[in-house]
Amino acid sequence: MKLLKAFWRKLSTPSKAAVGVVLALGFTGGILFWGAFNTGMEATNTEAFCSGCHAPIVAEIQETIHYSNRSGVRAICSDCHVPHNWTDKIVRKVQASKELIAFAMGTISTQEKFEARRKHLAEREWHRMSQNDSQECRNCHEFDFMDFSEQRPRSVAQHSDALASGEKTCVDCHKGIAHRLPDMSGVEGW
Amino acid sequence: MKMRVLLSGFITSLLLCGAVVANDYISNGGVDSLRGDTELNTQTQAAGLKSVVEQDKPYDSDYVFQPPLIPHQIRHYEMSLNANKCLSCHSWKNARESGATKISVTHYEARDGQVLADVSPRRYFCLQCHVPQNEAAPLIENDYERVESLR
Amino acid sequence: MKWTRRQFVKANAVSAAATVAGISLPASATNLITSSEDTKVTWDKAPCRFCGTGCSVLVGSQNGKVVATQGDPESPVNKGLNCIKGYFLSKIMYGKDRLTTPLLRMTDGKFDKNGEFAPITWDQAFDIMAEKWKKALADKGPTSVGMFGSGQWTVWEGYAAAKLHKAGFLTNNLDPNARHCMASAVGGFMRTFGIDEPMGCYDDLEAADSFVLWGSNMAEMHPILWSRLTDRRLSAPHVKVHVLSTFEHRSFELADNGMVFTPQTDLAILNYIAHYIIENDKVNWDFVNKHTHFKRGETDIGYGLRPEHPLQKAAAHPDSGKMTDMSFDEYREFLKDYNLEAVAKLSGVPAEKLEALAKDYADPNVKVTSFWTMGFNQHTRGVWANNSCYNIHLLTGKISEPGNSPFSLTGQPSACGTAREVGTFSHRLPADMVVANPKHRKISEDIWQLPEGAIPPKPGYHAVLQNRMLKDGKLNAYWVMCNNNMQAAPNINEEGLPGYRNPENFIVVSDPYPTVTAQAADLILPTAMWVEKEGAYGNAERRTQFWHQQVSPPGEAKSDLWQMVEFSKRFAVEEVWPAELIAKKPEYKGKTLYDILYANGEVDKFPVEQVDAKLNDEAKDFGFYLQKGLFEEYAKFGRDHGHDLAPFDTYHEVRGLRWPVVNGEETRWRFREGSDPYVKAGEGVNFYGKPDGKAFIIATPFEPAAESPDEEYDMWLSTGRVLEHWHSGSMTRRVPELYRAFPDAVLFIHPEDAKQRGFKRGDEVLIQSRRGEVKSRIETRGRNRPPKGLVFMPWFDAKQLTNKLTLDATDPLSKETDFKKCAVKLVKV
Repeated sequence: MKLLKAFWRKLSTPSKAAVGVVLALGFTGGILFWGAFNTGMEATNTEAFCSGCHAPIVAEIQETIHYSNRSGVRAICSDCHVPHNWTDKIVRKVQASKELIAFAMGTISTQEKFEARRKHLAEREWHRMSQNDSQECRNCHEFDFMDFSEQRPRSVAQHSDALASGEKTCVDCHKGIAHRLPDMSGVEGW
Repeated sequence: MKMRVLLSGFITSLLLCGAVVANDYISNGGVDSLRGDTELNTQTQAAGLKSVVEQDKPYDSDYVFQPPLIPHQIRHYEMSLNANKCLSCHSWKNARESGATKISVTHYEARDGQVLADVSPRRYFCLQCHVPQNEAAPLIENDYERVESLR
Repeated sequence: MKWTRRQFVKANAVSAAATVAGISLPASATNLITSSEDTKVTWDKAPCRFCGTGCSVLVGSQNGKVVATQGDPESPVNKGLNCIKGYFLSKIMYGKDRLTTPLLRMTDGKFDKNGEFAPITWDQAFDIMAEKWKKALADKGPTSVGMFGSGQWTVWEGYAAAKLHKAGFLTNNLDPNARHCMASAVGGFMRTFGIDEPMGCYDDLEAADSFVLWGSNMAEMHPILWSRLTDRRLSAPHVKVHVLSTFEHRSFELADNGMVFTPQTDLAILNYIAHYIIENDKVNWDFVNKHTHFKRGETDIGYGLRPEHPLQKAAAHPDSGKMTDMSFDEYREFLKDYNLEAVAKLSGVPAEKLEALAKDYADPNVKVTSFWTMGFNQHTRGVWANNSCYNIHLLTGKISEPGNSPFSLTGQPSACGTAREVGTFSHRLPADMVVANPKHRKISEDIWQLPEGAIPPKPGYHAVLQNRMLKDGKLNAYWVMCNNNMQAAPNINEEGLPGYRNPENFIVVSDPYPTVTAQAADLILPTAMWVEKEGAYGNAERRTQFWHQQVSPPGEAKSDLWQMVEFSKRFAVEEVWPAELIAKKPEYKGKTLYDILYANGEVDKFPVEQVDAKLNDEAKDFGFYLQKGLFEEYAKFGRDHGHDLAPFDTYHEVRGLRWPVVNGEETRWRFREGSDPYVKAGEGVNFYGKPDGKAFIIATPFEPAAESPDEEYDMWLSTGRVLEHWHSGSMTRRVPELYRAFPDAVLFIHPEDAKQRGFKRGDEVLIQSRRGEVKSRIETRGRNRPPKGLVFMPWFDAKQLTNKLTLDATDPLSKETDFKKCAVKLVKV
């Protein structure tokens, strides 16, 4: 404690040299903090971290083409569920802190509770993605680089018409591509 | 309470003795089964997984009530209490927009023959009757022939 | 309404056409259209050739070939629907490699166990068979000959086989492949109710509020019943579906409460439910007091292995089905071990799921139908599992009424109608009678016009024992008919194959196609199948269904019935029966078995003219209506004894009837007043299979499986079927569309188990057990999702003989193999 107090006194009555030290420390600290913050943020994006609370739904992707496919390119949770743009990401992360409370309260602690809320949760994601024109899909699947000649005629028809015109966005048709679906009664197109 | 099967040396040798005599006589005698002519006490390499045929037109039917085969991949098509992925394209409601083949009118009939407003629940699980086809030559040729009018 | 066959065909063709057009015609309108007379396609009905559901199909034939099939809209079972296999029935008879002539292993024109198969005539085939049979009979007596039959036999084929062996060769060494499939269900029925087969019927599917699937993947194995169950679940939102299995499969798609349990712990779960019912005061006391007794079953009963096997030696009461009286309080005490906490831990099923299941059973206002198939039956404690399920239904009185139904489903088209009812098991006689009971033997001897003491009292070799006895050289002349047991029976390497290829034995295999079993035979007989002969099947709801021969078989192929009856002509009674037995019936002197068994004044009493069909090869060949004669003689066993069948001709006119058929009326719910004619007014319920009309509630504990995973063999192996193929695939894999739908067997495994062992989807894998090894391919996704520690492999693939891995442990009471549990390890190839 004594040492801390002495240090504080020095800081509160700075010498010129001390000012330089403080600035240097602050600068380094800032870099360190920034790095740590982002590293920490990234850690919250790993599949292992997600599985900590969302194990059953993380497991669902294992059967899908977004997990295992010909070329081995795969999506992890954050690719679809966390915006890539920094500010949007922070906003989403702050929202996510609410989920910690829900987790602590056991809102979806059992499979049954989860199933009961599956539709609500899915609709929230569908809504978010239809609002941002399926940005997380487009991060990988860029319209401009789609080779229609490699697609099946029915896909070409949909993509060159509804998707190209902006009438529809990816998620309007491609639901349940990485998870099991909720009760789809009343969902448009089902 | 975990029990394990432990074959005593005695039984093992007994079994081996019996097997040795019979082993001299193991031969398929020149008859091929669905395993070909591979002897019953051996095995060739297991056939590799095959991929589903993707084609743009429906398969031909051999007779009127043959359920149409599925001409495309159905990986991860959900079929559950929650959702029926097939109907999201093939139902009467969605078929026009999706361009998919409309399901047959028979699918709107209840068990008692009454025509329903939507697909009969008894037809809900499509894969009981409709299946995709893998890239594979038939194991054995089949001599079935269609009626002349469908040939 | 009585219909002639002509009217029947006409009405069907029209109704089929009407269905195509999406209209429904009034019955009378069918008379207006006569085009079916002119069209080339002839339509007639037949039950499906595959599972025990018993769907009816309409078969269209033209120029002597089947050209089309479709679901029969008039059938109460399937109402026009078929599953994918049923829809392709039209192609099952036309695989290019149909057998058309007998084939014998020969060297230089003579039989040689090590020779190559070469074509011979039927006469030559019966010559060599008769020689081998007579030699075995002379050298070692009747226990050295035997037959392995089928739940796919027609009723009269099974009956002819039972007579040929029990009344002709005087041996009980006759067992059906239904031993692999239904024996535990039979054992369960006989122990609890004293009479075989379900009390309920498929009408329960439209009446239940809650369904429980115990080790039954109905979605793939009984698709049409599943469609009825789905219809009920989706049409009535209050209906719940509980599915229990050792891995997740397609039936979980409809499950409100899906439960994956550790193999063998179903025994504990069943007892937990009984415990819950009692501890929550939900016992239906009125029912329990009036209609049940409590019994304690003998425990530690072994695993049906060879007597010298250590596990068999370690058992305190091997093979004992003994029961002692017990009070309700003792039963309650017995169940205390099976409390929620303990059973959740043992089974791995979350407590709240178990409780949800128990609540539905316990709630007096919820009608519960339980279904089970091989999960219960192929189980080293299969009879116990069946009994324990009945316990639950009896405690709550939820039985024998619409929607309240413990329902054992069957896997073969006539496991019930033939294998069980006509007495093709090694311990049975027709109509639930058994060889060990002197009264039952007497009844049978009277009907069969045999001298007293003809039928041997000792049960014969059952399925698994037959393979052991072949290997040990005690069963020497052996006929395998209408099944593919080299592929289907457990432990091929150590028992089946050494048995068939034992040089002391002569093995005959009758089949339409060259199967794996045929490859292990010495003589192969080409066989007519399905609508190439007149037939009758009995399905899982006691429905007996007939069909006419509609096309001719190819080449020299003959029906199983023809083969057996023709073979019987080769034996003079003096060559088979001891002199003292013939002395009791001197009029049989100089006669053949054919004269005594088939041309006996009963079986041959209906003239050929009564055949109401264009084709009936057997009637033509033998000169009388053989099928009708066999059926009517057989029906004597059951009439007035709870197994009444309608007159022969009736069945050709209707879409089946559920026995007992009394005064022309079928029975939907047995043991229930008002529905079952055997229950008298005022009785309400009468379990008349038991002398005092009371069923048994039998207390049996959890006991472990015969073989469980350990450090070396670290995974459970469960085997089974897939939707697209039926049993060993000898019919379905010859249909190109079905073959391409599911081409080869694969090993379903949890993705993390695969990853941990360095396997990727599609990798070749060597599966090893203590008995053999099989190569397959890794499948980490698709219809089956095993939990960690368990793999599932279908056995339809002749190239991947799954049963080289399985253990020939059986339920000690039913002698049925546990194909669902053994230990394996996976090795990289």
